[in-house]
Amino acid sequence: MLEHVYLIPLIPLFASLVILLGFKEDPHSPAPYLGLAAMGWCLLQAVSIFWGVAGGRIVLPYEASINWFPLATEVAGKAFSYQMPIGVLIDGPAAVMLVVVTLVSFLVQLYSLGYMHGDSRFRRYYAFLSFFTASMLGLVVSNNLLVTFMCWELVGVSSYLLIGFWFEKPGPAYASKKAFMTTKLGDCGLYLALLFIFTKVGSFQIDQVREFATRGYFGMGAATAIGFGLLCGCAGKSAQWPLFIWLPDAMEGPTPVSALIHAATMVAAGIYLIAKTYFIFLAAPIAMEAVAWIGLITAFLAASMALVSYDIKRVLAFSTVSQLGFMMCALGAGGYTAGLFHLTTHAFFKGLLFLGAGSVIHAVHTNDMRSMGGLSKKMPITFLTMLAATLAISGVWPFAGYFSKDMILESVYHHSPVMFYLLTAAALMTAFYMFRLISMTFLGPDRDHEKHHHAHESPLVMTVPLMVLGLLSVVAGAALAHDGFVERLLSFPMPQTPGPEFPRALGLGVSALVLCSLALSWFLYGRGDFSIAEAVKKRFSAVFNVLEGRYYFDQLFLGLVAVADGAAKLAFWIDARVIDQTFVDGWGLLMRVFSELSALFDGLFIDRTVDGFGGLSSDLGTGLRALVADGQVQEYLLYAAIAVSLATIFILSR
Amino acid sequence: MNMLSLVTFIPLAGALLVLALPKERVKAIQATALASAGASLALSIALIPLFNRGSADMQFVERLSWIPSMDIHYVLGVDGLSFPLLLLTTFISFIALIGSLGIKERVKEYFFWFLVLEVGMLGVFEALDLVLFYVFWELCLVPMYFLIGIWGGPRKEFAAIKFFLYTLAGSVFMLLAILAVYFNTAPHTFDMIALMKAHSAWSLKFQILVFLGFYLAFAIKIPAFPFHTWLPLAHVEAPTAVSVILAAVLLKMGLYGLLRVCYEMLPLGFHWFLPFLIAIAVINIVYGALCAMAQTDMKKMVAYSSVNHMGYCLLGVAGVSAIGFSGAVLQMINHGIITGSLFLLVGVIYDRAHTRDISAFGGLAARVPIYAGLMFLACFASLGLPGLAGFVSEFMCFLGGFAQWKIYTAISVLGVLATAAFFLRMMEKVFLGPLNNKWAGLSDMSARELCSIVPLTVLTIAFGVWPKLALAFINTTAVQMAGLFK
Repeated sequence: MLEHVYLIPLIPLFASLVILLGFKEDPHSPAPYLGLAAMGWCLLQAVSIFWGVAGGRIVLPYEASINWFPLATEVAGKAFSYQMPIGVLIDGPAAVMLVVVTLVSFLVQLYSLGYMHGDSRFRRYYAFLSFFTASMLGLVVSNNLLVTFMCWELVGVSSYLLIGFWFEKPGPAYASKKAFMTTKLGDCGLYLALLFIFTKVGSFQIDQVREFATRGYFGMGAATAIGFGLLCGCAGKSAQWPLFIWLPDAMEGPTPVSALIHAATMVAAGIYLIAKTYFIFLAAPIAMEAVAWIGLITAFLAASMALVSYDIKRVLAFSTVSQLGFMMCALGAGGYTAGLFHLTTHAFFKGLLFLGAGSVIHAVHTNDMRSMGGLSKKMPITFLTMLAATLAISGVWPFAGYFSKDMILESVYHHSPVMFYLLTAAALMTAFYMFRLISMTFLGPDRDHEKHHHAHESPLVMTVPLMVLGLLSVVAGAALAHDGFVERLLSFPMPQTPGPEFPRALGLGVSALVLCSLALSWFLYGRGDFSIAEAVKKRFSAVFNVLEGRYYFDQLFLGLVAVADGAAKLAFWIDARVIDQTFVDGWGLLMRVFSELSALFDGLFIDRTVDGFGGLSSDLGTGLRALVADGQVQEYLLYAAIAVSLATIFILSR
Repeated sequence: MNMLSLVTFIPLAGALLVLALPKERVKAIQATALASAGASLALSIALIPLFNRGSADMQFVERLSWIPSMDIHYVLGVDGLSFPLLLLTTFISFIALIGSLGIKERVKEYFFWFLVLEVGMLGVFEALDLVLFYVFWELCLVPMYFLIGIWGGPRKEFAAIKFFLYTLAGSVFMLLAILAVYFNTAPHTFDMIALMKAHSAWSLKFQILVFLGFYLAFAIKIPAFPFHTWLPLAHVEAPTAVSVILAAVLLKMGLYGLLRVCYEMLPLGFHWFLPFLIAIAVINIVYGALCAMAQTDMKKMVAYSSVNHMGYCLLGVAGVSAIGFSGAVLQMINHGIITGSLFLLVGVIYDRAHTRDISAFGGLAARVPIYAGLMFLACFASLGLPGLAGFVSEFMCFLGGFAQWKIYTAISVLGVLATAAFFLRMMEKVFLGPLNNKWAGLSDMSARELCSIVPLTVLTIAFGVWPKLALAFINTTAVQMAGLFK
């Protein structure tokens, strides 16, 4: 059944093209159903593959490819023609990611039927959604790093189109450009890493490159350079410090798109690529350590920024950044399974949180949590499912996040207890800001009666996806962790490293602290009385300002943009003024001056001399004529006789 | 069958026929021009199945004695380096002629010069005798001068004369170099195939001198820094279709010359120059992109993006490897297709709005969706989005460059970033945001405009998805040029 797996990315791609080219823009267009049908088919395929793997009927990895185009090259003195295969490689992580991506995409498309209903560009929206998912699916199944990179870029351009979907507004137009450029900045590193890989081993096939890497063909220096290049790309795509600045703005897109970006199709790509190229990092301990620290810094910074935001989607965006930091940190610390496991569970509850936030925004028409409150009774399904997701992301037993986060903390502790404590602090902040979100949105009294009055539960087409994801947020962790299934599915052979064992008591302590954090959050925000919270804010206003200013990283990048613009202006000034007007036109001017001079010389000297000769002979003639009396023939004869006799004498005397 | 001669001289016959028609009969003139360029295109396409992709030799060779006393021959032939460029020329000429149907004044002269230009360009890619090469090379100059100088924008005379003098200055050095080569071979010959084998007898010093003579002519045409400043001016002033030809075909003559003459005939000189060439490539890439970033005129921005893209080609050439050479040739083709459509698209908006100022627009995507879609596609192709033509060739150029010049190539990647920046900024300012009410009445693409642009768009996607379509022609020659598998 795996022989048709290549259709999984191709069918949504085809659906997207058909929707874009074959349908007319119309609010009642049947185009969305085509997108849904394509995604539903993919979901069925993905689930049956996963089921087959779980039941042991399908043996992984599976690989198949066709030749794309030839590259004649020479590596280490050996000339050969590389046939650039394009194809699929299904291993454990790919099988899991297929389910995650198709499931979340399917639910998002279903949800969008309600959320985007009546939008004037309904058809285009579905075309872009399908294209987005198709690119991500291509990235997941590809067996070739160059093709992975191509899909990676297509994911980027789809996000550009979707974040800027409401392009008439300046906000989305700007945010889409920011997202594209920030990720592109990271991609420069990835691009160089790919060039380096091919130059070293003459192949892009993941299993071949892995083979070469394990045989040590890269060497420490090259592997480190490649590792850092890959990390650059992944930090851009997965919104890691310091390239995380684009993700909080990316919420300018329609909310279901945010769910897709944050859960399945965009930010997951970076984590997934690190996992796919894990062999490089194993060969480059410095790069590996950098992955862990970048992840840790991101997890911590983003969680702290989420503490003070009042925008419901922005809190969730910071939360995503922070959670991605957890995954990155886990991967860097050697927790391959833990990182990918958290990627999976996070997709479910973060997808749910965004869709839930969309449901809330749909009801109250604002993002500002200060205008919400008391919505639990009005929107019970949204409230309950989001509560489940909150407990999951906070890591409360037995919700999904507990298992994956526990595994992350365990592997990080094994790597370095210092990192563990910092990461635990981030985890406590997670519980705090998430429950703050729930408290401000759903609990306490309503703060804006007008909005509260009009609020209502969303239609079934929007709540069913919430319920499905809610169920998964509860059970997915326990189900996957059951009997070590996840370790078998998402594993990478690597040498055992010495390190302290994770004491069970510490795990229990973390769980207890998480509960305390939740309680504190409820105490400050859940009772409808924010006075203590406000007092704390006033007392530490300097810290709050830094957090609300997002540590001023945006300013840093705006500064970079200004530098680039300055460089551009300078370059063009040099081009126009110095090179063109001074040297090129100056040369022309010099030539003209030179030619004027020679014309002057010509007129003054050469031509004057010529004219002088003419004038001389003319003057001479006039003078001679004056000597001669007019009309005397005898005189003429006399002159003639003199001339003849002079000539005769001259000739004879020689 | 003298297929190459037919391909080359059918447009000349068309030009003469146009000359014989009365100037009032605009339709007949247009039909004649289209028919002759179309016949040339059809014939060149007919050569595709006959072209042997597995051979690096010259194919379809024709040889006639021209001036026997000086051993000058009329020799035409193509290989994997020139055949794709030949196809590009016939194709783009036809497309640009469709794009020229909107020309209203002095129609007869316009089409005459246009067809003469096509003859010159085709000849450059086919000629295998240096004198013939030079004749065709110069033949491109005169029509271009008139096409810019008569049908151009406000500063057309200045642009035309600058283009003419600048290029002519380069040609003079090329002529000297040709004569130097001729007198230093025994027996004296202009035959390019013979000269490719004769270089072993030449000293390094001689090769360097001759290389520089040729290089000057080619660098001006490419255009390579610092000889590029005629390009933005010429592009801004030239009528749309002439800009298309200029960017898509004329610039390629320089790179073609660099590979065919400088690399194949003067390997020692070429290798001596290599450290400079890579530096020039990087400057073209980064500096060209930065200059493009500073532009407010869409056409000038696209013109500077050509400087940047020719830098990629130079990077591939400087890699001196099969991948680099293939990448450079493929990039020439792709740049022709992509930048051709960019210039046509800028022309479309200029025809309607009579301005090309980037900040004069805003929110056009809502008003003219088809135009916006095609423009987005062309811009993304130009900034190297995978799945569209530019990506694979750009990547191959980088691969070729990286194997030899790691640091230089790493710097060049910044140019890719800057390219993305200026295209994205242009798209945001022109198409996104609130609709500028001034353009509320703008109409979307007409059928004639679609006819000229859609074929380019189709090829942009086709070469992006299946680069083998073009690479199959190039590879064998590139491998042979790089001396791989020896």
